[in-house]
Amino acid sequence: MRLPLKTRLYYTVGKHLPFLKIRPPNIDRQAVLTLRPGRNSQLSWEKQETGETILSVPLKPQGGRMGRVMAKWFRIPENLEKRVELDEVGGYVWELCDGSHTIESIVQKTGRHYKMNRREAEVSVTTFLQMLHERNFIGFYKKVSKRA
Amino acid sequence: MTTPLEMEKQRGMEAAEVPFGERTIIGWQGVRCVLPPGWNVTGFSLDRDSGYLRVDAPGNSTMTVQIRWTNAATANPGSPSLYALLAQRLGKRQRQQKAPVQKPDLKANLEKILKETAKQARRGKASFESTVKPEKTEGEHGERSAINFSWSGGGRGQGKIWYCETCHRIIVAQVVGLAKDQAAIATVASQLFASLHDHAEGEHDLWALYDLQVEIPQDFRLETQDLRAGYLNLTFARGGEKIIVDRWGLANVALKKFTVREWFTRHARLSLKRLAVEEDESPQGHAVTHAVGRFSLLDRLRVLRETRGSLRRFPTLYEGGAWECAESNKIYMVQVLHSRRTPGLWQEVMQRCVCH
Repeated sequence: MRLPLKTRLYYTVGKHLPFLKIRPPNIDRQAVLTLRPGRNSQLSWEKQETGETILSVPLKPQGGRMGRVMAKWFRIPENLEKRVELDEVGGYVWELCDGSHTIESIVQKTGRHYKMNRREAEVSVTTFLQMLHERNFIGFYKKVSKRA
Repeated sequence: MTTPLEMEKQRGMEAAEVPFGERTIIGWQGVRCVLPPGWNVTGFSLDRDSGYLRVDAPGNSTMTVQIRWTNAATANPGSPSLYALLAQRLGKRQRQQKAPVQKPDLKANLEKILKETAKQARRGKASFESTVKPEKTEGEHGERSAINFSWSGGGRGQGKIWYCETCHRIIVAQVVGLAKDQAAIATVASQLFASLHDHAEGEHDLWALYDLQVEIPQDFRLETQDLRAGYLNLTFARGGEKIIVDRWGLANVALKKFTVREWFTRHARLSLKRLAVEEDESPQGHAVTHAVGRFSLLDRLRVLRETRGSLRRFPTLYEGGAWECAESNKIYMVQVLHSRRTPGLWQEVMQRCVCH
């Protein structure tokens, strides 16, 4: 869900100037559950036989031009990547983050698959998705109806 | 043999007219009720004398059930006198008998609640209307005086306030939702009021939330709780004695790397090295890893520190057990630290722990 520029600006400024007391935008829980998480296309992933899922996250060369010079100097390979291991449940949720499932449906499927209580499933799935979003592994989409 | 929990289920089913499995049983601090499936506890207080319980509807619904209670016998306005404090300590030696608890003014209590709700509605610039029905007597033995009420304004609510002469509790229970949810509120309210009990019928309190249902002797008080996604812990205490109930979710994932016995060893309150470990069976037919034994000197010292030197019901024995319930995909663990005077406490609790 894209927030208006004014809200985003206030929120960004408020992070650095806490005395302004800018509160984070109030997003309805109902609206959040209709969002569709989608995976970052730059990430590659594979499922292990043991049930875990390994994400390969490409790392950006840091330090700008100087950094690139230093990397060449010390012969650091250019295509560096970080590997993140997700457990079985995390892998299951990751597979469902294909842009077609809403958070609500992911919660329901996870709860049903692992026989979790609805509330427990919602709390753990939303926390996990939030963590993935903070690391830019996923983004959230909102399905917009086509205008006539 | 019908266990009290089964009786409870039968009672609840009769009251709510909903088949078991298609409903949620909630039990907290002696208050218990039956609600539609998927409803879950989202707020509670730890105090038994005065507290609240909030249960939310699943999914996108905004309906909630709010239950508040106060004990008219312990709700003592003003500062207690020195005599009252000493009398409490002396307990049974106190010569004077306890003064009879006066019936509280329910109408005044209700007015206060409605005033507060009206204030909130006015803040949201909504008009407030309330309907209060006349007081009536309820209960099998006529122990309840109850007033039904409903309100609308910035939402809608249907509730009931009553005083129970048996447990001296004043209970306020209401179902709150949006104005458009009128029919759903009425349905949930009728189910709630038909099944809501303010005290246990027998000697055990039902503690039921998040797929856990366990009956604990009434004189045990909830000491600590830990409710996390996938893990639930309730610890009850009576003097130095303790009952610890744990429940883990995702058993099929957790038990890929461990056996139930290893899981039990890792999470047991005491080291199982010196205890006798054997296989047992739960009432639902699950294999239970069961450990029994005495406390070591070090454990006794640790308990003494925890009880701050109090020797009341000082525990010297440990009994615990863990089992996997494949039907609900959960691991359950019941541990009891008890004194010699209470043998069979673990069996008593384990038999009343329903996993599926």
